[in-house]
Amino acid sequence: MTHDAPACERDTAQPDTAPDMTAPDMATQGLSLAYGSVAVIEDLDLQLPAGQVTAIVGPNGCGKSTLLAGLSRLLKPRGGTVLLNGTDIRHQPTRQLAKRLALLPQQPHAPEALTVAELVRFGRHPHQSWLRQWSLEDKRIVDEALDMTGLTPLAQRPVDALSGGQRQRAWIAMAIAQQTATLLLDEPTSALDLGHQVEVYELIQSLAASGKTIVMVIHDLVSACRYADHLIAMHQGHVIAEGLPGETVTPELVRRLYGVECSLITDPATGAPLLTNVRRTRDALDGSAT
Amino acid sequence: MTSPADTPNAVRQDKYYLALPLGQRSPLRVIVDKRNLLANLLLLGLLILLAGASLNIGSAASLSLPATLRALLGDGSPLDTFVIQELRLPRVIAGIVTGGAFALAGCLMQTVARNRLATPGIVGLDNGATAFAVASVVGTGISLAPPAMALTGAAVAAALTFGLTGRIGVRGYRFLVAGIGVGAVFGALTQLMLTRVSIDAANAAYPWTVGSLNARPDHAVLSLSLALPPALLAGIWLTRSLTVLRLSDAVAISLGIAAGRCRMAALSVAVILTGLAVAVAGPVGMVALIGPEFARQLSAKNTVPVVGATLAGAVVMVAADLLGRMLLAPIEIPVGIVTALIGSPLLLWILLNPNARTAP
Repeated sequence: MTHDAPACERDTAQPDTAPDMTAPDMATQGLSLAYGSVAVIEDLDLQLPAGQVTAIVGPNGCGKSTLLAGLSRLLKPRGGTVLLNGTDIRHQPTRQLAKRLALLPQQPHAPEALTVAELVRFGRHPHQSWLRQWSLEDKRIVDEALDMTGLTPLAQRPVDALSGGQRQRAWIAMAIAQQTATLLLDEPTSALDLGHQVEVYELIQSLAASGKTIVMVIHDLVSACRYADHLIAMHQGHVIAEGLPGETVTPELVRRLYGVECSLITDPATGAPLLTNVRRTRDALDGSAT
Repeated sequence: MTSPADTPNAVRQDKYYLALPLGQRSPLRVIVDKRNLLANLLLLGLLILLAGASLNIGSAASLSLPATLRALLGDGSPLDTFVIQELRLPRVIAGIVTGGAFALAGCLMQTVARNRLATPGIVGLDNGATAFAVASVVGTGISLAPPAMALTGAAVAAALTFGLTGRIGVRGYRFLVAGIGVGAVFGALTQLMLTRVSIDAANAAYPWTVGSLNARPDHAVLSLSLALPPALLAGIWLTRSLTVLRLSDAVAISLGIAAGRCRMAALSVAVILTGLAVAVAGPVGMVALIGPEFARQLSAKNTVPVVGATLAGAVVMVAADLLGRMLLAPIEIPVGIVTALIGSPLLLWILLNPNARTAP
């Protein structure tokens, strides 16, 4: 490639105005989510800033993955609404919604022998129909998604023969080919080593830089601070803190979330908050009772 | 196919797919996988060959090819014309439509359940349909025609299996276990009915219990023949969604597939086909396992071979019927027994081979 800019900046679907103006606003109003009779999230109001990377963090079982399932219409709300561009997502046909909102579930499984190119091609599905199954435009967008994720040389390889990081990039490439303004990711770096994690996070950052709204659930608070523009901390189904990572993360918050003591310093290289001297609190088990 | 290394553009779909029509600017671009097209043509050729052989060969008289053709067109000798048009042709047609229906139903169910073992026969639909069809024949006071009864039986068995599976849906082993249980209950009911009725009534119901093309009711063949083409079209229409549904529900929904509706549509088609096919030939459930497997081996990877499975099922059924008629001639081995003899080793192979167990 002779271009220095990320490929999707040339994307015709996104005008060259500021991302905040064009990217959709995702929000929830009084959202309640439940599995069967077990309420996980109740009456949640949330704003997800457009054109930014939002990280949702919290301890296991805090409801962050449930929230993502609710945002992506996998889980029908018990009450309240999820708004995309001010419209309830349940009032939009699922195929129309698929042109605006993409979800990458945690460690998705690809059928045996499915190649990278075939996987990325699935991203065009919502834009196609039975009578118009493939076009040059689709081909261009798939090529571009492969190029952005550095997978062009691996396009004909089976997905299950790739390394963990490459595989995750292939799935992200599929979501890129879907050309949605909003992308939801459920633990995109779980089960990846450090190098592959950085690879995926940098790709996510470049997508946000090109105007996409990214919402990701992640476990690692340090990576959340490092790569997210906006942090949402959840605990027992409630948002207990949100805002800029540098202003939101405090030793007090870390204690409430994870029941551990720590000191915070500022990363001299990036300015992001860094956790040091992490240790268990004496009252780790009821650390939530604040 | 060119090797990936010297492909400048990563996605050379044009090499693998035939776009119809071929104009680059045409708004209408239906993709046909070249390998699948080839596989289907091969299966179609095989089917024509076997159907021809079935018309030719028989215990009454093995006709020459010209004589068969003349009789088929209606200007052969009266005896030949009777044998071909009244005896063999309806049987071949019954074999084609039942085989196609069983295998199409199998392919659809395997795909939505993401499990090769999840055929209608294994999850109890065949036995449900059989029990109801037998009930109508042995005179339990229910006087619906066998197709309607078999259809009801398949639907009842499907409803029971779903009910027992609970919220988990068709994926996972509970669906199979519940289905095997439901199938066993209906199988026992069928046996019970047969032991309680007169020997003549039991004889009349016998073909439905083993699977045979010998005792096909004409109206049952007609209902199935009318149902199969729209079912196949529905299957072709669903193929795009089913292909994406193979990934995972979350991914499919994110890509705009109404996963629940798509799965329900595929299952309904499978229930209807299985019920109507059982009304014709009895529970020849093995075809639902062999047909799609056969088609999958021939077709391109990662496609759902809806048409291929239908053709392969018809091939298997006609071949098994022909074999059954030839092996111990003039005694006929019922087609259900022949397919079970071929199918059981295949079933064992699928059970024992970890690579073959999942992802149809």
